[in-house]
Amino acid sequence: MTLGLSGYSDGGQTMDNHKGVLVCGEIADGKLAPVTIELIGLGRKLADELGEQSSVLLMGSKAGGLAQEAIAYGADNVYVAEDSLLDHYNSDAYTQIAANLCQQVLPSIMLLGHTDIGLDLAPRLNGRLGGGLAMDCIALSIDPPTKLLASTRPVFGGNAHATMVSKSARPQMATIRPKTVPPAACDASRQGQVIPVEGKVDPAAIKVKVVERIKEQAEGVKLEDAEVVVSGGRGIGGAQNFAMLRDLASVLGGAVGASRPACDEGWVPARLQVGQSGKVVSPKLYIAVAISGAMAHIAGCLGSKVIVAINKDKDANIFSVAHFGVVGDYKQILPALTAKLKELKSA
Amino acid sequence: MNTIVCVKQVLDPEIPPAKFKIDPETKQVIPPPGVPPVISVYDERAIEAACRLKDKHKGKITAISMGTEKAADVIKHAIAMGADDGFLLQDPAFENLDSFGTAYVLAKAIQKLGEYDLVLCGRQAADWGAGEVGSILAEILGIPVVTFACDIQGADKTLRVKRLVSDGFEVLEAPMPCLITVSSEIGLPRLPAGPRLMMARKKVIPVWKAQDIGAEPAKLDKANAHTEVTALSVPTRKTECEIIAGATPEEAAANLAMKLSKLI
Amino acid sequence: MSPVSATYWGLPGYIIFWALFAIAFGVFLRRFYFLYRLLRLGKSERRFDRIGQRAIFMLSVVSSQWCALKTVGLTDLAGLGHALMFWGFGFFLIGYVIIFGVDGGLGLSLPPAFEALYRSILDIAALLVIAAVIVAVIKRYIVKPKRLEREESRKEKVIMALLFTTMIVLMALHYGTEGLKYSAYNLSPSPIIGGLLANSLTSAGMSPATLSATYTAFWWINYVMLLGALVYAPHSEHLHPLFSPANIFFRPLGPKAALEPVPAEETENFGVSKLQDFTWKQLLDLYSCTWCGRCHAACPAQLSGKSLSPREIILNLKEHLLEEGPGLLNGKAEPSSNMIGDVVTEDAIWACTTCGACIEACAVKVEHVRRIMDLRRNLVLTQNKMPETAQLMLRNMQSRGHPWAGIQSLRLRGDWTDGLDVKVLADGDTADTLFWVGCTGALVERNVKATISMTRVLKTAGVDFAVLGEAETCCGDPARRAGYEFQFQMMAEQNIETFKSHNIKEIVTSCPHCYNTLKNEYPQYGGDFNVVHYTQFIGKLIAQGKLKLANGLNSRVTYHDPCYLGRYNGVYQEPRQILQSIPQTNLVEMARTRNKAFCCGGGGGHMWIEEQSGTTKINQMRLDDALKTGAEQVVTACPYCLQMFEEGIEHKGIKGALKVQDLAEIVEAAMQPSESKGAA
Repeated sequence: MTLGLSGYSDGGQTMDNHKGVLVCGEIADGKLAPVTIELIGLGRKLADELGEQSSVLLMGSKAGGLAQEAIAYGADNVYVAEDSLLDHYNSDAYTQIAANLCQQVLPSIMLLGHTDIGLDLAPRLNGRLGGGLAMDCIALSIDPPTKLLASTRPVFGGNAHATMVSKSARPQMATIRPKTVPPAACDASRQGQVIPVEGKVDPAAIKVKVVERIKEQAEGVKLEDAEVVVSGGRGIGGAQNFAMLRDLASVLGGAVGASRPACDEGWVPARLQVGQSGKVVSPKLYIAVAISGAMAHIAGCLGSKVIVAINKDKDANIFSVAHFGVVGDYKQILPALTAKLKELKSA
Repeated sequence: MNTIVCVKQVLDPEIPPAKFKIDPETKQVIPPPGVPPVISVYDERAIEAACRLKDKHKGKITAISMGTEKAADVIKHAIAMGADDGFLLQDPAFENLDSFGTAYVLAKAIQKLGEYDLVLCGRQAADWGAGEVGSILAEILGIPVVTFACDIQGADKTLRVKRLVSDGFEVLEAPMPCLITVSSEIGLPRLPAGPRLMMARKKVIPVWKAQDIGAEPAKLDKANAHTEVTALSVPTRKTECEIIAGATPEEAAANLAMKLSKLI
Repeated sequence: MSPVSATYWGLPGYIIFWALFAIAFGVFLRRFYFLYRLLRLGKSERRFDRIGQRAIFMLSVVSSQWCALKTVGLTDLAGLGHALMFWGFGFFLIGYVIIFGVDGGLGLSLPPAFEALYRSILDIAALLVIAAVIVAVIKRYIVKPKRLEREESRKEKVIMALLFTTMIVLMALHYGTEGLKYSAYNLSPSPIIGGLLANSLTSAGMSPATLSATYTAFWWINYVMLLGALVYAPHSEHLHPLFSPANIFFRPLGPKAALEPVPAEETENFGVSKLQDFTWKQLLDLYSCTWCGRCHAACPAQLSGKSLSPREIILNLKEHLLEEGPGLLNGKAEPSSNMIGDVVTEDAIWACTTCGACIEACAVKVEHVRRIMDLRRNLVLTQNKMPETAQLMLRNMQSRGHPWAGIQSLRLRGDWTDGLDVKVLADGDTADTLFWVGCTGALVERNVKATISMTRVLKTAGVDFAVLGEAETCCGDPARRAGYEFQFQMMAEQNIETFKSHNIKEIVTSCPHCYNTLKNEYPQYGGDFNVVHYTQFIGKLIAQGKLKLANGLNSRVTYHDPCYLGRYNGVYQEPRQILQSIPQTNLVEMARTRNKAFCCGGGGGHMWIEEQSGTTKINQMRLDDALKTGAEQVVTACPYCLQMFEEGIEHKGIKGALKVQDLAEIVEAAMQPSESKGAA
């Protein structure tokens, strides 16, 4: 096996010929993904501050039909790569197309959603292009004197925030979670260019093939969209005890979540994990049951309007971020809570 | 099957939040005294994945880590779990490298090791948590990469990888050599058992410096870093938590229910 | 006159006598040798040290029947019955040798007076035996105490029935033969009861010829039955009469709670997963079990509903040995059933809290705990199989040096010294006396209070001591008890080095588990320090007048004996003396106390390993024991016990009704106010 350093470009390219913002867009169910709409808005804002253009890359056979919409949301240019090999995410194919485009267009800033696609694509693109990447950002801004993109992201499980810049490496890349920035305003009268991307996906370049997709049956409300989330932690003690949380969630019309230890134990599927390495949720009501409150978990629920904590340990860290709390054994509290809520609901 | 696992030693993620301190000047975390650093959680899963493949298909596992001299402990941990040997990449020039720099150093070390079929990494480091090094490393090495693996099965020249996505799984086939980043859904790692634990403790881990792996000074120069940290802060969170009480747990629950029904 | 001197079918009686004896004895020996060979399947073990001491103990305990008598309690008189049976049969054994052997086989007549005297002794002994058997039958088949509850196999039922029947029949034959002999030959003097029987037979009007013929018949029947019993004994599974004296001879002489390290030569298969992994002594245990079930009735896991029964483990393993043994002796490589899984379940292996109640209750010194630990070692070290809660704790031990999960502890190791004026040892410092706090006392909120109390007590008494602060790591006990032996060894060696680097001579500790490990197990790795539990240390301080406990307690208290302090290390009196030296203290004892104390449920790794689901929690049961005394406070001297009681009290919601305190906290409160002001 030869070790080629192929595809690795030095970050030594001069920055001056890099201009503008490029949003790597996603298409879900034939429509622009909500996070893409948010990023187009953000891209517009950053481009305006720089006095440069904002563009979007759309990949997939439906891409062409969505270009106008992207323009309406604020894109100056929409690059369309219409290839059926791009309809479902494939790491090799997307990296190839996006990297090639970047090497032609030379954007200064590149934005991706912190999604299944972004988590995989952004680091790869960064490796191939030699830029500077900040993942999972909670804030992006242009530093006025230097005109550099300053990205702020949580580190050490959310215990700290780090701000990062790329002085010379280009593009300056960042991924952002859905619902971090507001969606773009739609202006149907906006004008812009639709540019087809040159070159199709080279089938020989697709080394890793997706053989199967397994959708896990989501019971009830999807965690990310729920207005109420009831989460269980290590203190729950076993898979069967999660039934109590499911009961409470169903009375409140919400979804069940969990902290990482509960998922690692196998008590609930991994996709229900709320936290830094799981899902970030911002429901109206978040009930943390038997969760100690590690920063990594809190980072995943801090956006909730109201946080309620139920824990045996009165000194548990969760109480420092909760609005309401009950100190006690959840096994005694939860059934009574569910019953009373049911009663109040029917009254 | 010849596997290389990249492991990192990090500050213990389970220190109480109240004890977490940073120095805003140097933009470093101040480790609380007496708390030993630990192996990054996902990297331990990567070793576990390597051991499972070795259980089935035989072969060799080499662990490498870039860190301080204490990082020899995580290599010993890997050996105790089942790795055959390991190397510590330690050099003042390797300190405070960004993701690109780290991936570069790892790539040069892998180059020095020679032939391999698979490189395994954790999906992200348990401290800075960027999740970039694995993919950048794969790009430098010029090999395919699969991220967020929760199961790896080997078959001749191809690996069958189950990958985590937000609403389920994907199953992919990746040709070797390739790089895979591993997530905690792969399951609990084995406890280093029996004599391996003692044998690993006694082992002397060879140290490789920048010149040993042929790392170019220009690539390690901080002035050429792809990203740098300009600020590090601890966000202040203060909420007054209203504790809802009751004579019995059930009464407290009822009081809470009444409070909540007014809110939602 | 002697039945042996007659001729039967042309053969002299002597020939028949000795021929039968030879056959029976031969079969007996053959079987005995087979059982011995089964023992040799096990590994070697050094148990021939201090032969004189062992012999004296065994002879005195067995002949005095102290082994059985020590189990006697108000509700359990079976030990007394066994003693009577034993002595009764002891006399009979000698009697058989005399009557059958000497008189019969060798044809030497006994002096009549001597014979009458000895027979009288046997007459009385027989009554006692019959009485004991009747009571035993009532107990076993009618009363059915907890310790005898068992799913007996058909074989076992038959054995027990045969046993009782044989004993009664032999006693009846004794009387019958005796009466017939004395009546038929009109001998005198006559034995007490035998003589009465003889008289009634004579007055019944049977002719001497009939009597003599019947006597001869009875004599031979008695002889054949005896030989039958001799042959049956080793072939039945009721082997304890043959082997338990040997088991008592080979009993363990080291500290009760010290486990042995894994042998250094062992490279692949650790612990025990098949019969040949046991030592011969552990296999001897299997023969020696008397089926009494006292271990079963004392085991907290069993009493709280877990699937662990110490007796079942022993008896199932015995069956396994007898079934698989022949094949293994013939060179068969693998047994047909797995020891772990088929014979002993994993649930049972993990349910043990290592409290030692089984060992304490056993009359014949069977070692149950060591066996279960060996099985655990195999699961953890060889098979990498353990409950998740165990794995998480062990991984914490490995990466953090203590068993308490990081985020839950909310504090760091050295934090407890904040604000206290305690000397924390730095590199290069030396100290004579070290106060070893232990993981729980440093990391868990409730227990830190006890540690601080202890510190204040030591300071008030003017003790010059130091602590290790954050340099203290776990003593290793949770790892060892969970079967993770090599981690334990590494921690032990590291701690011993630390102690030696500070030139420590004496170690005072608050935790009985640390106490046991540092005192009894660290010597295995070269650690030789004077280790004291704080109850012993404080007791001495009070005796020396350095501590005056003048504040009255004004409370009814009960003391809970921690297993690792009381039962395993014999420290019962010191904590009680401390309590009793405090004025206005009404000390009451729980029903199960001292060496019979019921475990709190925290040992054997169970502070972290979850109890079998669907069963009662052990700490709840012990809490009930405490509540029954009517005490307002429970006092204990172990951090696990303290945790277990606190958890039990909270779960039951009786915080106002019962308080649990560590003895150190009680002592601190009892110290005079003027003295305690100066401390800390």
